[in-house]
Amino acid sequence: MPNPFLALLTTGLLTQRDCCPELPDDATGLPAVTASPCAGCRRCVERCPMQAITLTPDAEGIAVTLDRGRCIACHGCTASCPAGTIIADRSTRTAVRTRDALVLSNRTHAIPAAPQPTPFRRSLHIREVSTGDNVSDLEVIASTNPVFDVARFGIHFVASPRFADALLVTGPVGRAMREPLLRCYDAMAEPRLVIAVGTSAISGGLHRGGYAEANGVTDLLPVSSFVPGDPPHPWSIIHGLLLLMGREV
Amino acid sequence: MSLTLAPTTPFECLPVAPEHLPELARQRFKQPDWRFGHLIARAQQDHILIETLLLQPAQGRGVILSAELLAGVREYPAITPHVPAAHWAERAVGDMFGVRAVGHPRWKSILLHHDAWPLDLTPLLPDAGTSREPYTFFKVKGEGIHEIPVGPIHAGIIEPGHFRFSCLGEVITNLEIRLGYQHRGVERRLCEIPWQQAHFLAESASSDTAAGNALAHARAIEQLLDITPPPRAVALRTIALELERLSNHIGDIGALSGDIGYSVGASLFPPLRGAVLALCQLLTGTRRQRWFIVPGGVARDLDDGRRTAMVQGLAELTQRLRKHIPLVIEHPGVIERMEGTGRLSPGLARDFGIVGPAGRASGSRYDVRATFDRDALPFTPAHREAGDVLSRAQIRVEEIFAAIGIIDAQLAQLPDSPIAVDLAGAVLPAERAGIGLVEAWRGELLHWITTDETGAIARYAIKDPSFNNWTGLAIAIRGNLVADFPLCNKSFNLSYSGNDL
Repeated sequence: MPNPFLALLTTGLLTQRDCCPELPDDATGLPAVTASPCAGCRRCVERCPMQAITLTPDAEGIAVTLDRGRCIACHGCTASCPAGTIIADRSTRTAVRTRDALVLSNRTHAIPAAPQPTPFRRSLHIREVSTGDNVSDLEVIASTNPVFDVARFGIHFVASPRFADALLVTGPVGRAMREPLLRCYDAMAEPRLVIAVGTSAISGGLHRGGYAEANGVTDLLPVSSFVPGDPPHPWSIIHGLLLLMGREV
Repeated sequence: MSLTLAPTTPFECLPVAPEHLPELARQRFKQPDWRFGHLIARAQQDHILIETLLLQPAQGRGVILSAELLAGVREYPAITPHVPAAHWAERAVGDMFGVRAVGHPRWKSILLHHDAWPLDLTPLLPDAGTSREPYTFFKVKGEGIHEIPVGPIHAGIIEPGHFRFSCLGEVITNLEIRLGYQHRGVERRLCEIPWQQAHFLAESASSDTAAGNALAHARAIEQLLDITPPPRAVALRTIALELERLSNHIGDIGALSGDIGYSVGASLFPPLRGAVLALCQLLTGTRRQRWFIVPGGVARDLDDGRRTAMVQGLAELTQRLRKHIPLVIEHPGVIERMEGTGRLSPGLARDFGIVGPAGRASGSRYDVRATFDRDALPFTPAHREAGDVLSRAQIRVEEIFAAIGIIDAQLAQLPDSPIAVDLAGAVLPAERAGIGLVEAWRGELLHWITTDETGAIARYAIKDPSFNNWTGLAIAIRGNLVADFPLCNKSFNLSYSGNDL
């Protein structure tokens, strides 16, 4: 009979030591906007299925914005940009604390005040609610496996909202999930946080604007951490959680 | 009858009178080599069509019985009394079109919840002029029967759905599964956006089956356009589809271990799944193979360096799997726990049209890869008769190694050709139907696209394998302990969002 204990002893350490490493060159990552001047060809705008990109002529040339809260990372823009203004970004440190910070631009903005630190610096217990994007659920589950091992940061997923400090939402929240989601939030003790994981949770993504009003969680609850991507990489999800804890990664 | 099927669609369309529909469906369904495919409605200008797809897999063909209702008529005789497998499809037509299947033994709403949507909303037929009844649960009566409501939000990281158990002590006498919480209006939205961009949303119907959904969509569109993807694209698509099967089956072996408290399996298999996802990333650029398969071909080529890396990675993975799978599947404690649990008999599996690994664990030999799939190599589907959790696990193990064999063969002799047909300027033909069939990792997945007189998509129907198989879970759990539900559920591992659409 095969010996499970021998297998465990000889498997060795599987956990990645480096936290939130860059993705390898083979991976596509998310698009990013660079300082390289836009040629104004509008191919990116035409190819984007999410209306996530705007081009506006201004005194310096053309101002480009790209909303990662809408972007599904299909890379139609990066493949068609002749000027290097929109390129692939292989960073996994893609989570942000405000919705505005998801909108990338080639023009400098006034840097908004950093959001208040949250009280959960050493441990964070999370209730996950899925509302229609099961691949993001799979990446949340992956963050708990021995390779990513989110538990090493004091982060645990719990069964009841009563035990939870944070509500992690995936999916676009159609009409029939609105009440269960809000009741789950109501059942949580304060202070409590909300995390939106995946483009569909942030804005509804591909489902936005339909009769099911599946436009994401951002309009329903106060979100403190936004993790873009369709789906986000497990390291990006962990980045979004560590940001809430004010931890350097 | 203005509709024609695309020339490469292996089905024929047969106009029938609505009153003859149940009998004509029954005549075919009672023959062992026929099975139920799907049932949809379509709105014409002033009337409704009920289209029933019946499949004869061994011959690689099928028939669509197309019943035209008179103008203003909102009912037809149900086929469910003769073809039980149609029971959810007929209810879905009721919700989305307000058309009633008269004689349906469990007639009630299925997708649109009365507390979330107006009762007269029929998303695919504006102003149907009908109204649904509020939902009621089936009531098991008798001394000592008690109910356990579970969900929509479950304890783990999993999709929402409601399970209503009627129990006698610890034994489940009936399980009613109520889904629809994640209804996002996918089918209507797919008719509202330009077809050139529809593949993004079609792929996200159940986003954990990206390769399967994207391939079914691509096949339907390619039938409509009457084009054939280049051989290299066909090979790369096959690799993507089998990688998806591999990663999910491996993940499920780990999750089954977790559900019986066998932590060795639960901790060893997720990293193995991660190794498959690394291969996916090499092939497609993302772990979950997003936006890779597109109508006409694939979006990115596999260069020689990455191909070599994939061959090496696959060989290492195979070695680890050969070492680790016996730790689970041959462990006496695991076998003891899974054997005889959650049994689904071959007879009921056939009646309710159970597909995929769950169907093949309960006596079915149906696998799209061995029948309708013209891209596949010669292939013998896995097959067992016991229909219990152990059989479903064993089928997955066999399919894991079969998938590795297929990927290996494709990587070894990748054809040299372009990777896509250029679809710039392509126009969909008017009043045609194309049906894409794929053996996704959960089973038969179907995208059924019909165009209108301008060539725009007028009806887009998706049938996820879970739509067949949820009933299989409800049957399999009868007579089992409440505590065995998580294990049975995981052995099916169905999609909620693919069902809810």
